[in-house]
Amino acid sequence: MSQENLYGEISDAIVNLNEDKATELANKAIDENLNILNVIEEGFGAGIRRVGELWDAGEFFLPELMRGAKIMQDCLDLLIPHLQGGIERKTLGKVVIATIEGDIHSIGKTIVATMLRAYGFEVYDLGADVPAEKIIDEAIEKNVDIIGVSALLTTTMLGQKKVVEILKKKGISNKFKVILGGAPVTSKWVEECGADGYAGNAVEAVELAKSLLHI
Amino acid sequence: MLFHDWLKNDSKIILFDGAMGTEIFKRGIEPGKIPDLLNIEKPDIISEIHKSYYDVGSDMCQTCTFGSSSLNLKKYKLEDRIKEINEKALENIKKACPPTCLIVGDIGPSGEFRPPVGNTTSEQWQSSFANQVKILENGVDLWHIETISDIEEMQAAIRAVKKNSEKPIIASMTYNKTPRGYFTIMGDSLEKCIQILEREKVDVIGANCTIGSNDMIGLIEESIKLTNKPLSAKPNAGQPKIDKNGKPFYEYPTKDYARDIHDMINLGAKIVGGCCGTSPQTIMEICKIIDSL
Repeated sequence: MSQENLYGEISDAIVNLNEDKATELANKAIDENLNILNVIEEGFGAGIRRVGELWDAGEFFLPELMRGAKIMQDCLDLLIPHLQGGIERKTLGKVVIATIEGDIHSIGKTIVATMLRAYGFEVYDLGADVPAEKIIDEAIEKNVDIIGVSALLTTTMLGQKKVVEILKKKGISNKFKVILGGAPVTSKWVEECGADGYAGNAVEAVELAKSLLHI
Repeated sequence: MLFHDWLKNDSKIILFDGAMGTEIFKRGIEPGKIPDLLNIEKPDIISEIHKSYYDVGSDMCQTCTFGSSSLNLKKYKLEDRIKEINEKALENIKKACPPTCLIVGDIGPSGEFRPPVGNTTSEQWQSSFANQVKILENGVDLWHIETISDIEEMQAAIRAVKKNSEKPIIASMTYNKTPRGYFTIMGDSLEKCIQILEREKVDVIGANCTIGSNDMIGLIEESIKLTNKPLSAKPNAGQPKIDKNGKPFYEYPTKDYARDIHDMINLGAKIVGGCCGTSPQTIMEICKIIDSL
Protein backbone atom coordinates (compact mmCIF):
# COMPACT_ATOMS: atom_id res chain seq x y z
CA MET A 1 0.00 0.00 0.00
CA SER A 2 1.34 3.43 -0.81
CA GLN A 3 1.72 5.81 2.07
CA GLU A 4 -0.92 8.09 0.55
CA ASN A 5 -3.40 5.23 0.54
CA LEU A 6 -2.57 4.47 4.15
CA TYR A 7 -3.11 8.11 5.11
CA GLY A 8 -6.47 7.99 3.35
CA GLU A 9 -7.44 4.81 5.16
CA ILE A 10 -6.47 6.26 8.52
CA SER A 11 -8.44 9.41 7.82
CA ASP A 12 -11.47 7.32 6.83
CA ALA A 13 -11.17 5.19 9.97
CA ILE A 14 -11.38 8.36 12.09
CA VAL A 15 -14.34 9.74 10.14
CA ASN A 16 -16.12 6.36 10.31
CA LEU A 17 -15.38 6.32 14.06
CA ASN A 18 -13.86 2.88 13.57
CA GLU A 19 -11.67 2.48 16.62
CA ASP A 20 -10.39 -1.02 15.78
CA LYS A 21 -9.38 -0.01 12.29
CA ALA A 22 -7.67 3.17 13.46
CA THR A 23 -5.71 1.27 16.11
CA GLU A 24 -4.77 -1.42 13.62
CA LEU A 25 -3.47 1.16 11.16
CA ALA A 26 -1.53 2.97 13.89
CA ASN A 27 0.16 -0.32 14.83
CA LYS A 28 0.82 -1.05 11.19
CA ALA A 29 2.57 2.30 10.79
CA ILE A 30 4.74 1.49 13.81
CA ASP A 31 5.52 -2.06 12.61
CA GLU A 32 6.48 -0.85 9.16
CA ASN A 33 8.62 1.87 10.64
CA LEU A 34 6.87 4.59 8.67
CA ASN A 35 7.49 8.26 9.31
CA ILE A 36 5.25 8.63 12.33
CA LEU A 37 5.11 12.40 12.14
CA ASN A 38 3.66 12.21 8.64
CA VAL A 39 1.25 9.47 9.70
CA ILE A 40 -0.04 11.70 12.48
CA GLU A 41 -0.33 14.85 10.43
CA GLU A 42 -1.55 13.48 7.11
CA GLY A 43 -3.55 10.51 8.34
CA PHE A 44 -5.00 11.17 11.78
CA GLY A 45 -4.85 14.96 11.52
CA ALA A 46 -6.67 14.93 8.21
CA GLY A 47 -9.31 12.61 9.70
CA ILE A 48 -10.06 14.76 12.71
CA ARG A 49 -10.23 17.86 10.53
CA ARG A 50 -12.92 16.12 8.46
CA VAL A 51 -14.76 15.22 11.68
CA GLY A 52 -14.61 18.91 12.61
CA GLU A 53 -16.01 19.90 9.25
CA LEU A 54 -18.89 17.43 9.58
CA TRP A 55 -19.66 18.82 13.04
CA ASP A 56 -19.58 22.31 11.61
CA ALA A 57 -21.98 21.32 8.85
CA GLY A 58 -24.45 19.81 11.32
CA GLU A 59 -23.83 16.27 10.02
CA PHE A 60 -22.03 15.12 13.17
CA PHE A 61 -23.20 15.75 16.73
CA LEU A 62 -21.60 15.73 20.13
CA PRO A 63 -21.21 11.93 20.48
CA GLU A 64 -19.51 11.62 17.06
CA LEU A 65 -17.23 14.57 17.72
CA MET A 66 -16.14 13.29 21.12
CA ARG A 67 -15.74 9.74 19.90
CA GLY A 68 -13.65 10.83 16.90
CA ALA A 69 -11.40 12.91 19.13
CA LYS A 70 -11.07 10.07 21.64
CA ILE A 71 -10.01 7.57 18.95
CA MET A 72 -7.53 10.10 17.63
CA GLN A 73 -6.11 10.70 21.11
CA ASP A 74 -5.75 6.97 21.85
CA CYS A 75 -3.91 6.45 18.57
CA LEU A 76 -1.63 9.42 19.27
CA ASP A 77 -0.76 7.87 22.62
CA LEU A 78 0.29 4.72 20.74
CA LEU A 79 2.25 6.58 18.06
CA ILE A 80 4.06 9.33 19.90
CA PRO A 81 6.57 7.05 21.73
CA HIS A 82 7.62 5.81 18.28
CA LEU A 83 8.44 9.19 16.77
CA GLN A 84 11.73 8.62 14.98
CA GLY A 85 15.19 9.97 15.62
CA GLY A 86 14.40 12.51 18.27
CA ILE A 87 11.87 14.18 16.03
CA GLU A 88 9.24 15.59 18.26
CA ARG A 89 5.76 16.33 17.12
CA LYS A 90 5.83 20.06 17.18
CA THR A 91 2.96 21.36 19.24
CA LEU A 92 1.11 24.20 17.61
CA GLY A 93 1.12 26.03 20.90
CA LYS A 94 0.20 25.75 24.56
CA VAL A 95 -3.28 26.53 25.80
CA VAL A 96 -4.74 26.73 29.28
CA ILE A 97 -8.52 26.48 29.26
CA ALA A 98 -11.22 26.65 31.93
CA THR A 99 -14.83 27.50 32.64
CA ILE A 100 -14.86 30.58 34.85
CA GLU A 101 -15.65 30.67 38.55
CA GLY A 102 -19.32 30.27 39.43
CA ASP A 103 -20.10 28.41 36.24
CA ILE A 104 -20.24 24.63 36.25
CA HIS A 105 -21.00 24.23 32.54
CA SER A 106 -18.04 22.30 31.26
CA ILE A 107 -19.20 20.58 28.10
CA GLY A 108 -18.47 23.38 25.61
CA LYS A 109 -15.06 23.98 27.13
CA THR A 110 -14.30 20.24 27.04
CA ILE A 111 -15.19 20.03 23.35
CA VAL A 112 -12.90 22.95 22.54
CA ALA A 113 -10.07 21.43 24.61
CA THR A 114 -10.53 18.08 22.85
CA MET A 115 -10.47 19.60 19.39
CA LEU A 116 -7.47 21.81 20.14
CA ARG A 117 -5.61 18.75 21.39
CA ALA A 118 -6.62 16.73 18.36
CA TYR A 119 -5.28 19.44 16.09
CA GLY A 120 -1.92 19.45 17.85
CA PHE A 121 -2.10 22.01 20.63
CA GLU A 122 -0.82 21.18 24.09
CA VAL A 123 -3.86 21.79 26.27
CA TYR A 124 -4.17 22.17 30.04
CA ASP A 125 -7.84 21.79 30.90
CA LEU A 126 -8.46 23.15 34.41
CA GLY A 127 -12.12 22.11 34.51
CA ALA A 128 -15.11 24.21 35.53
CA ASP A 129 -15.75 26.79 38.25
CA VAL A 130 -12.15 28.04 38.20
CA PRO A 131 -11.25 31.47 39.69
CA ALA A 132 -9.66 33.99 37.30
CA GLU A 133 -6.54 34.18 39.49
CA LYS A 134 -6.01 30.42 39.30
CA ILE A 135 -6.33 30.41 35.49
CA ILE A 136 -3.67 33.10 35.27
CA ASP A 137 -1.34 31.36 37.75
CA GLU A 138 -1.52 28.20 35.64
CA ALA A 139 -0.97 30.16 32.44
CA ILE A 140 2.20 31.68 33.88
CA GLU A 141 3.44 28.39 35.30
CA LYS A 142 2.88 26.43 32.10
CA ASN A 143 4.12 29.32 29.99
CA VAL A 144 1.17 29.03 27.63
CA ASP A 145 0.46 31.04 24.49
CA ILE A 146 -3.31 31.15 24.82
CA ILE A 147 -5.77 31.42 27.70
CA GLY A 148 -9.26 30.15 26.90
CA VAL A 149 -12.12 31.18 29.21
CA SER A 150 -15.61 29.76 28.88
CA ALA A 151 -18.87 31.03 30.41
CA LEU A 152 -22.38 29.85 29.71
CA LEU A 153 -24.20 32.15 32.09
CA THR A 154 -24.70 35.83 31.45
CA THR A 155 -23.83 36.42 35.11
CA THR A 156 -20.53 34.56 35.04
CA MET A 157 -19.42 36.21 31.79
CA LEU A 158 -18.11 39.07 33.90
CA GLY A 159 -15.42 36.67 35.12
CA GLN A 160 -14.05 36.57 31.58
CA LYS A 161 -13.47 40.30 31.75
CA LYS A 162 -11.79 39.85 35.12
CA VAL A 163 -9.15 37.58 33.56
CA VAL A 164 -8.17 40.30 31.10
CA GLU A 165 -8.21 42.95 33.82
CA ILE A 166 -5.91 40.97 36.12
CA LEU A 167 -3.49 40.35 33.26
CA LYS A 168 -3.41 44.08 32.58
CA LYS A 169 -2.91 44.90 36.24
CA LYS A 170 0.01 42.52 36.40
CA GLY A 171 1.42 44.05 33.24
CA ILE A 172 1.56 40.70 31.46
CA SER A 173 -1.33 40.97 29.03
CA ASN A 174 1.11 41.02 26.08
CA LYS A 175 2.36 37.56 27.03
CA PHE A 176 -0.91 35.75 26.33
CA LYS A 177 -3.74 35.74 23.85
CA VAL A 178 -7.08 35.52 25.63
CA ILE A 179 -9.94 33.82 23.82
CA LEU A 180 -13.52 33.61 25.06
CA GLY A 181 -16.27 31.11 24.48
CA GLY A 182 -19.80 30.29 25.60
CA ALA A 183 -23.32 30.72 24.28
CA PRO A 184 -23.82 34.36 25.31
CA VAL A 185 -20.35 35.54 24.15
CA THR A 186 -20.22 37.84 21.12
CA SER A 187 -17.46 39.72 19.33
CA LYS A 188 -18.79 42.89 20.92
CA TRP A 189 -18.30 41.39 24.38
CA VAL A 190 -14.75 40.35 23.44
CA GLU A 191 -14.03 43.92 22.39
CA GLU A 192 -15.46 45.27 25.61
CA CYS A 193 -13.35 42.88 27.67
CA GLY A 194 -10.22 43.68 25.70
CA ALA A 195 -9.78 39.98 24.87
CA ASP A 196 -8.26 38.72 21.62
CA GLY A 197 -11.10 36.78 20.10
CA TYR A 198 -14.07 34.49 20.47
CA ALA A 199 -15.27 31.40 18.69
CA GLY A 200 -18.82 30.21 18.23
CA ASN A 201 -17.86 26.54 18.16
CA ALA A 202 -14.93 24.16 18.59
CA VAL A 203 -13.84 24.23 14.96
CA GLU A 204 -13.83 28.02 14.92
CA ALA A 205 -11.86 27.92 18.18
CA VAL A 206 -9.10 25.91 16.50
CA GLU A 207 -9.00 28.35 13.58
CA LEU A 208 -8.96 31.28 15.97
CA ALA A 209 -6.11 29.80 18.04
CA LYS A 210 -4.11 29.14 14.87
CA SER A 211 -4.65 32.59 13.46
CA LEU A 212 -3.73 34.29 16.75
CA LEU A 213 -0.43 32.40 16.73
CA HIS A 214 0.04 33.10 13.02
CA ILE A 215 -0.03 29.40 12.11
CA MET B 1 -58.30 16.64 37.00
CA LEU B 2 -58.13 20.22 35.80
CA PHE B 3 -55.14 19.72 33.51
CA HIS B 4 -56.81 16.86 31.63
CA ASP B 5 -59.97 18.97 31.27
CA TRP B 6 -57.88 21.73 29.75
CA LEU B 7 -56.25 19.29 27.36
CA LYS B 8 -59.62 17.91 26.28
CA ASN B 9 -61.14 21.33 25.76
CA ASP B 10 -60.37 22.22 22.14
CA SER B 11 -60.86 25.92 22.63
CA LYS B 12 -58.51 26.12 25.62
CA ILE B 13 -54.95 27.35 25.07
CA ILE B 14 -52.96 26.71 28.24
CA LEU B 15 -50.76 29.62 29.26
CA PHE B 16 -47.53 28.53 30.95
CA ASP B 17 -45.11 30.89 32.73
CA GLY B 18 -42.00 32.66 31.43
CA ALA B 19 -38.39 32.61 32.58
CA MET B 20 -37.34 32.14 36.18
CA GLY B 21 -33.56 32.40 35.75
CA THR B 22 -33.43 35.71 33.93
CA GLU B 23 -36.04 37.21 36.31
CA ILE B 24 -33.83 36.22 39.25
CA PHE B 25 -30.77 37.79 37.59
CA LYS B 26 -32.72 41.03 37.14
CA ARG B 27 -33.04 41.10 40.90
CA GLY B 28 -29.28 40.91 41.27
CA ILE B 29 -28.40 37.33 42.17
CA GLU B 30 -24.69 36.80 42.87
CA PRO B 31 -22.88 34.93 40.14
CA GLY B 32 -22.04 31.41 41.11
CA LYS B 33 -25.13 30.62 43.05
CA ILE B 34 -27.54 28.07 41.72
CA PRO B 35 -30.90 29.84 41.44
CA ASP B 36 -32.62 26.90 43.16
CA LEU B 37 -30.80 27.73 46.40
CA LEU B 38 -32.73 31.01 46.52
CA ASN B 39 -35.79 28.95 47.47
CA ILE B 40 -34.12 28.84 50.88
CA GLU B 41 -32.08 32.05 50.93
CA LYS B 42 -34.56 34.44 49.30
CA PRO B 43 -37.94 32.69 49.33
CA ASP B 44 -39.81 35.98 48.93
CA ILE B 45 -38.11 36.71 45.61
CA ILE B 46 -39.06 33.29 44.25
CA SER B 47 -42.68 33.60 45.41
CA GLU B 48 -42.84 37.11 43.99
CA ILE B 49 -41.67 35.91 40.56
CA HIS B 50 -44.20 33.05 40.54
CA LYS B 51 -46.94 35.48 41.58
CA SER B 52 -45.94 37.94 38.85
CA TYR B 53 -46.65 35.21 36.28
CA TYR B 54 -49.90 33.98 37.83
CA ASP B 55 -51.02 37.64 38.08
CA VAL B 56 -50.66 38.27 34.34
CA GLY B 57 -52.62 35.17 33.40
CA SER B 58 -50.43 32.06 33.56
CA ASP B 59 -52.67 29.03 34.04
CA MET B 60 -49.73 27.19 35.54
CA CYS B 61 -46.21 27.97 36.73
CA GLN B 62 -43.31 25.69 37.45
CA THR B 63 -41.32 25.23 40.64
CA CYS B 64 -37.85 26.80 40.84
CA THR B 65 -36.21 23.37 40.79
CA PHE B 66 -34.60 23.22 37.34
CA GLY B 67 -31.26 22.16 38.83
CA SER B 68 -32.49 20.32 41.92
CA SER B 69 -31.85 16.73 40.94
CA SER B 70 -29.14 14.85 42.85
CA LEU B 71 -26.56 14.77 40.05
CA ASN B 72 -26.81 18.48 39.34
CA LEU B 73 -26.84 19.54 43.00
CA LYS B 74 -23.71 17.46 43.53
CA LYS B 75 -21.76 19.84 41.31
CA TYR B 76 -22.53 22.60 43.77
CA LYS B 77 -21.86 20.30 46.75
CA LEU B 78 -25.52 20.67 47.68
CA GLU B 79 -26.69 17.09 47.18
CA ASP B 80 -27.38 16.66 50.89
CA ARG B 81 -29.82 19.58 50.73
CA ILE B 82 -32.02 18.13 47.98
CA LYS B 83 -35.00 17.63 50.30
CA GLU B 84 -34.82 21.10 51.78
CA ILE B 85 -34.46 22.85 48.41
CA ASN B 86 -37.31 21.01 46.71
CA GLU B 87 -39.61 21.31 49.73
CA LYS B 88 -38.95 25.03 50.01
CA ALA B 89 -39.59 25.41 46.29
CA LEU B 90 -43.03 23.87 46.79
CA GLU B 91 -43.76 26.18 49.70
CA ASN B 92 -42.74 29.22 47.64
CA ILE B 93 -44.94 28.40 44.67
CA LYS B 94 -47.92 27.36 46.82
CA LYS B 95 -47.92 30.81 48.39
CA ALA B 96 -48.31 32.36 44.94
CA CYS B 97 -50.65 29.91 43.19
CA PRO B 98 -54.33 30.95 42.97
CA PRO B 99 -56.91 28.17 43.54
CA THR B 100 -57.87 27.97 39.86
CA CYS B 101 -54.29 27.52 38.67
CA LEU B 102 -51.83 24.66 38.69
CA ILE B 103 -48.34 23.94 39.99
CA VAL B 104 -45.90 22.22 37.66
CA GLY B 105 -42.90 20.31 39.02
CA ASP B 106 -39.87 21.43 37.02
CA ILE B 107 -37.15 18.92 36.22
CA GLY B 108 -34.12 20.12 34.26
CA PRO B 109 -31.14 18.22 32.83
CA SER B 110 -28.65 16.52 35.14
CA GLY B 111 -25.74 18.24 33.41
CA GLU B 112 -24.11 14.84 33.06
CA PHE B 113 -23.66 12.99 29.78
CA ARG B 114 -23.44 9.36 28.76
CA PRO B 115 -20.35 7.98 27.00
CA PRO B 116 -18.57 9.00 24.83
CA VAL B 117 -19.28 12.54 26.01
CA GLY B 118 -19.42 11.75 29.74
CA ASN B 119 -19.63 8.71 32.00
CA THR B 120 -23.18 8.67 33.28
CA THR B 121 -25.53 5.70 32.90
CA SER B 122 -29.31 5.67 32.47
CA GLU B 123 -29.63 4.08 35.91
CA GLN B 124 -27.69 6.94 37.48
CA TRP B 125 -29.89 9.48 35.71
CA GLN B 126 -33.05 7.71 36.76
CA SER B 127 -32.09 7.46 40.41
CA SER B 128 -30.98 11.11 40.45
CA PHE B 129 -34.31 12.28 39.00
CA ALA B 130 -36.28 9.91 41.24
CA ASN B 131 -34.79 11.53 44.34
CA GLN B 132 -36.19 14.85 43.20
CA VAL B 133 -39.55 13.49 42.03
CA LYS B 134 -40.28 11.77 45.36
CA ILE B 135 -40.02 15.12 47.17
CA LEU B 136 -41.91 17.27 44.66
CA GLU B 137 -44.68 14.67 44.25
CA ASN B 138 -46.10 16.04 47.49
CA GLY B 139 -47.21 19.31 46.02
CA VAL B 140 -47.24 19.42 42.24
CA ASP B 141 -50.19 18.88 39.88
CA LEU B 142 -48.15 17.79 36.89
CA TRP B 143 -44.56 17.59 35.62
CA HIS B 144 -42.43 19.43 33.11
CA ILE B 145 -39.19 17.67 32.17
CA GLU B 146 -37.37 20.29 30.13
CA THR B 147 -34.24 21.44 28.30
CA ILE B 148 -33.11 17.86 27.75
CA SER B 149 -30.69 17.30 24.86
CA ASP B 150 -30.36 13.51 25.08
CA ILE B 151 -33.51 11.46 24.49
CA GLU B 152 -32.03 8.69 26.68
CA GLU B 153 -31.78 11.11 29.58
CA MET B 154 -35.37 12.15 28.91
CA GLN B 155 -36.45 8.49 29.02
CA ALA B 156 -34.65 8.05 32.34
CA ALA B 157 -36.47 11.11 33.72
CA ILE B 158 -39.84 9.86 32.45
CA ARG B 159 -39.25 6.49 34.13
CA ALA B 160 -38.28 8.25 37.34
CA VAL B 161 -41.55 10.21 37.28
CA LYS B 162 -43.75 7.26 36.32
CA LYS B 163 -42.35 5.06 39.09
CA ASN B 164 -43.15 7.65 41.70
CA SER B 165 -46.13 9.58 40.37
CA GLU B 166 -49.27 9.21 38.29
CA LYS B 167 -49.48 12.85 37.36
CA PRO B 168 -49.35 14.11 33.76
CA ILE B 169 -46.00 14.73 32.09
CA ILE B 170 -44.95 17.42 29.63
CA ALA B 171 -41.67 16.27 28.04
CA SER B 172 -39.69 19.10 26.41
CA MET B 173 -36.49 18.47 24.50
CA THR B 174 -34.20 21.32 23.47
CA TYR B 175 -33.29 21.53 19.78
CA ASN B 176 -30.94 23.41 17.51
CA LYS B 177 -32.02 24.38 14.03
CA THR B 178 -29.61 22.84 11.51
CA PRO B 179 -29.65 22.80 7.70
CA ARG B 180 -31.05 19.26 7.96
CA GLY B 181 -33.81 20.12 10.42
CA TYR B 182 -34.20 20.24 14.18
CA PHE B 183 -31.72 18.19 16.19
CA THR B 184 -30.57 18.10 19.79
CA ILE B 185 -26.86 18.63 20.38
CA MET B 186 -26.62 14.87 20.96
CA GLY B 187 -27.93 14.28 17.45
CA ASP B 188 -31.50 13.23 18.26
CA SER B 189 -33.81 14.40 15.49
CA LEU B 190 -37.22 15.90 16.17
CA GLU B 191 -38.81 12.89 14.49
CA LYS B 192 -36.90 10.38 16.63
CA CYS B 193 -37.68 12.28 19.83
CA ILE B 194 -41.39 12.50 19.04
CA GLN B 195 -41.56 8.80 18.20
CA ILE B 196 -39.93 7.85 21.47
CA LEU B 197 -41.99 10.29 23.53
CA GLU B 198 -45.16 8.83 22.03
CA ARG B 199 -43.99 5.37 22.95
CA GLU B 200 -43.21 6.55 26.49
CA LYS B 201 -46.82 7.78 26.68
CA VAL B 202 -46.15 11.28 27.91
CA ASP B 203 -49.20 13.55 27.98
CA VAL B 204 -47.70 16.50 26.14
CA ILE B 205 -44.72 16.70 23.79
CA GLY B 206 -42.78 19.94 24.01
CA ALA B 207 -39.72 21.95 23.07
CA ASN B 208 -38.03 24.70 25.04
CA CYS B 209 -34.93 26.89 25.24
CA THR B 210 -31.93 27.10 22.85
CA ILE B 211 -33.83 28.58 19.91
CA GLY B 212 -35.81 31.79 19.77
CA SER B 213 -39.53 32.05 19.09
CA ASN B 214 -39.02 32.73 15.36
CA ASP B 215 -37.23 29.38 14.89
CA MET B 216 -39.69 27.58 17.16
CA ILE B 217 -42.53 28.26 14.69
CA GLY B 218 -41.02 25.86 12.16
CA LEU B 219 -40.46 23.27 14.87
CA ILE B 220 -44.13 23.34 15.83
CA GLU B 221 -45.09 23.11 12.17
CA GLU B 222 -42.95 19.98 11.81
CA SER B 223 -44.15 18.48 15.08
CA ILE B 224 -47.82 18.78 14.15
CA LYS B 225 -47.17 16.52 11.16
CA LEU B 226 -45.48 13.92 13.37
CA THR B 227 -47.88 13.50 16.29
CA ASN B 228 -51.44 13.91 17.50
CA LYS B 229 -50.27 14.58 21.05
CA PRO B 230 -50.79 18.08 22.46
CA LEU B 231 -47.72 20.28 21.92
CA SER B 232 -46.00 22.71 24.24
CA ALA B 233 -43.65 25.54 23.21
CA LYS B 234 -41.40 27.57 25.50
CA PRO B 235 -38.84 29.30 23.26
CA ASN B 236 -36.21 31.86 24.23
CA ALA B 237 -36.55 35.57 23.58
CA GLY B 238 -33.70 35.58 21.07
CA GLN B 239 -30.12 35.32 22.32
CA PRO B 240 -28.67 36.99 25.41
CA LYS B 241 -26.51 40.12 25.19
CA ILE B 242 -24.63 42.07 27.84
CA ASP B 243 -25.30 45.78 28.33
CA LYS B 244 -22.77 48.46 29.32
CA ASN B 245 -23.27 47.81 33.02
CA GLY B 246 -22.55 44.13 32.61
CA LYS B 247 -26.22 43.21 32.92
CA PRO B 248 -27.65 40.59 30.60
CA PHE B 249 -30.57 41.46 28.37
CA TYR B 250 -32.50 39.85 25.54
CA GLU B 251 -33.12 42.10 22.60
CA TYR B 252 -35.95 40.27 20.82
CA PRO B 253 -38.98 42.56 21.08
CA THR B 254 -41.89 41.33 23.21
CA LYS B 255 -44.41 42.19 20.48
CA ASP B 256 -42.54 40.02 17.97
CA TYR B 257 -42.29 37.19 20.47
CA ALA B 258 -46.04 37.35 21.12
CA ARG B 259 -46.70 37.40 17.37
CA ASP B 260 -44.55 34.27 16.93
CA ILE B 261 -46.48 32.55 19.73
CA HIS B 262 -49.70 33.54 17.98
CA ASP B 263 -48.41 31.77 14.86
CA MET B 264 -47.62 28.66 16.92
CA ILE B 265 -51.13 28.65 18.40
CA ASN B 266 -52.57 28.92 14.90
CA LEU B 267 -50.45 25.95 13.87
CA GLY B 268 -51.81 23.93 16.78
CA ALA B 269 -49.66 24.50 19.89
CA LYS B 270 -51.72 23.72 22.98
CA ILE B 271 -49.43 25.03 25.72
CA VAL B 272 -47.42 28.22 25.28
CA GLY B 273 -45.08 30.19 27.50
CA GLY B 274 -41.50 31.36 27.53
CA CYS B 275 -37.98 30.36 28.40
CA CYS B 276 -34.81 32.47 28.85
CA GLY B 277 -35.31 36.19 28.47
CA THR B 278 -39.09 36.19 28.71
CA SER B 279 -40.81 38.08 31.51
CA PRO B 280 -44.26 38.70 32.98
CA GLN B 281 -44.57 41.41 30.31
CA THR B 282 -44.13 38.73 27.62
CA ILE B 283 -46.71 36.46 29.23
CA MET B 284 -49.14 39.37 29.53
CA GLU B 285 -48.83 40.04 25.79
CA ILE B 286 -49.48 36.36 25.04
CA CYS B 287 -52.45 36.38 27.42
CA LYS B 288 -53.99 39.25 25.43
CA ILE B 289 -53.64 37.20 22.27
CA ILE B 290 -55.24 34.12 23.85
CA ASP B 291 -58.12 36.23 25.18
CA SER B 292 -58.73 37.63 21.70
CA LEU B 293 -58.97 34.20 20.03
